[in-house]
Amino acid sequence: MDNLISRGSTLTFSPKTVLLIALLLMILALSGAGCEDAPVARLQNAKDALEHAASSGALRYAEQTYRNAEELLQTGWMELARQNGHLAPFRSYEKADSLLRLATSLAIQAETKTRDSIATMHSLASGELQEMKAELAEWLEALNGSLAGFNVRDYWMRADLDIQIAEGLINKGEYDDGRVSMAKARNFLTRLGKNLEAHADDEAKKIGIWRRWVQQTLDQSRTSNGYAVIVDKAAHRTYLIKGGRLIHTYDCELGYNSSRQKLFAGDAATPEGMYEVTSARQRGSKYYKALLINYPNAADRKRFAENKAKGIISKRARIGDWIEIHGEGGKNKDWTQGCVALTNKDMDHIMQYVSVGTQVTIVRKSDQWP
Amino acid sequence: MKKALLLAFIAIGLLAIAGCSKPPEAEMATAKAAVDAARAAEAEQYVPQQFRMVSDSMNAANALKTEQDSKFALFRAYGKSKEAFVRVEGIANKVTEDAKAEKERVRQQVMAMMANVKTMIDSANVAWEKAPKGKDNKADLELIKNDLMGLASAYTEAEADFNGGKFLAAKSKFESVMSRTQGIMNEIATAAAKKKGGK
Repeated sequence: MDNLISRGSTLTFSPKTVLLIALLLMILALSGAGCEDAPVARLQNAKDALEHAASSGALRYAEQTYRNAEELLQTGWMELARQNGHLAPFRSYEKADSLLRLATSLAIQAETKTRDSIATMHSLASGELQEMKAELAEWLEALNGSLAGFNVRDYWMRADLDIQIAEGLINKGEYDDGRVSMAKARNFLTRLGKNLEAHADDEAKKIGIWRRWVQQTLDQSRTSNGYAVIVDKAAHRTYLIKGGRLIHTYDCELGYNSSRQKLFAGDAATPEGMYEVTSARQRGSKYYKALLINYPNAADRKRFAENKAKGIISKRARIGDWIEIHGEGGKNKDWTQGCVALTNKDMDHIMQYVSVGTQVTIVRKSDQWP
Repeated sequence: MKKALLLAFIAIGLLAIAGCSKPPEAEMATAKAAVDAARAAEAEQYVPQQFRMVSDSMNAANALKTEQDSKFALFRAYGKSKEAFVRVEGIANKVTEDAKAEKERVRQQVMAMMANVKTMIDSANVAWEKAPKGKDNKADLELIKNDLMGLASAYTEAEADFNGGKFLAAKSKFESVMSRTQGIMNEIATAAAKKKGGK
């Protein structure tokens, strides 16, 4: 009551009372009993969303979106902190809330984009891998027994290795690197294909010559009513002729590099030309029995000299010799240094009919006969 | 009495201003430098979860400082934010060391694999040189020789990946080369056994 001093009809306060009331008001203002709640839950949501995005691989597959979300989170967080520093009645979390909502939304977008990217890349890469494996298997089948197999084997092997590497990378989620390896494999298969095209082109240019040789051999055999032998390299067949007619067919194996004409000694190519038997060994051959032919003939020598002059072969190259039809075949692949190999049983058969002087014509391909 | 109270308030105010902490600029700069060092050490790639923890801690420290910056000078107190920045520096330094260690571990692992593969390829080449050669196996050995050359080329590619820091890609390639080299060693042994001698 002492504090209240009555002066007639008005009520006034003492200086002490005024000071106390002012202090109380200040305390209330500073107490933090604000009008708005800080969006703490929103901040935590944004952090969680960013963590999920990072764990899913967003830094790798959706980096820009992730970085934008990260920046918004930081900005929103600092804005929240700034508002926390204001006196409670003067706080406004609207901006912070908006920024944190946007951060959450972008983080979710980054995660979704990442998952979609991974799924797409996995699907694309796996699909491409399966296609390449199938193509590789097709090439292997096509090359198996093909004259050009030896020449292009290297390309096939590199493609196979790159596909194997690609598979390893894709299984580890390294899709970009996996597709790079597959592109390399594709390149090798393209080169393989081009090589085979060149081989086919060469065949197309020379097919007329081989048809003529085959016809001449048949005509001579008919005229003399004698025996002759025709070797079709592409078909891996040796034909026994009598009087111009086919009387027996043998499977045969050739030099392992027989996709082309023989160029020099040691090139492992079976020569193409018209020859005759110069020696028939019933015993003493390393390969059961053997029929030696007169390679190199005049045409072979002429071609060899021309190739040397043109620089196609080395000046130190030798023309080679000792091309035979011999036994120990039956390996189901080309393995000789240029000879024609039959099974021992087939050698027993052919040597009943073929002797010194019998014509032997070797062509790369006989498309019109038998 | 009035004068005494007024004087008391002025004194309190002056003390408050005098005692008001200074912003922890130095600690903040040190913490930032430590986080940058962790990033430069590729912590984000090699120890990603730990790096995210460091980033989060740095944000929390910045938030504490920002909150204080927003207050009236009289009421600012940077003690907690200062401690937070010091903690961030410690964590970031540890993360940097961990990142370097992890990167080195992966590097050593791939380097060991690389040495192993090189030894295998060298052994395969020696086995090829020593394999008895004859007409029966020359074709096989020629094909194997081409395969060995292909492997040498693939090894060089993988080595380039390793030297470029692409350890995972290098590792995958070395694994494939190793597997193929083993297969070739078996092929050489088979071809060597085939040899009959002569042309």
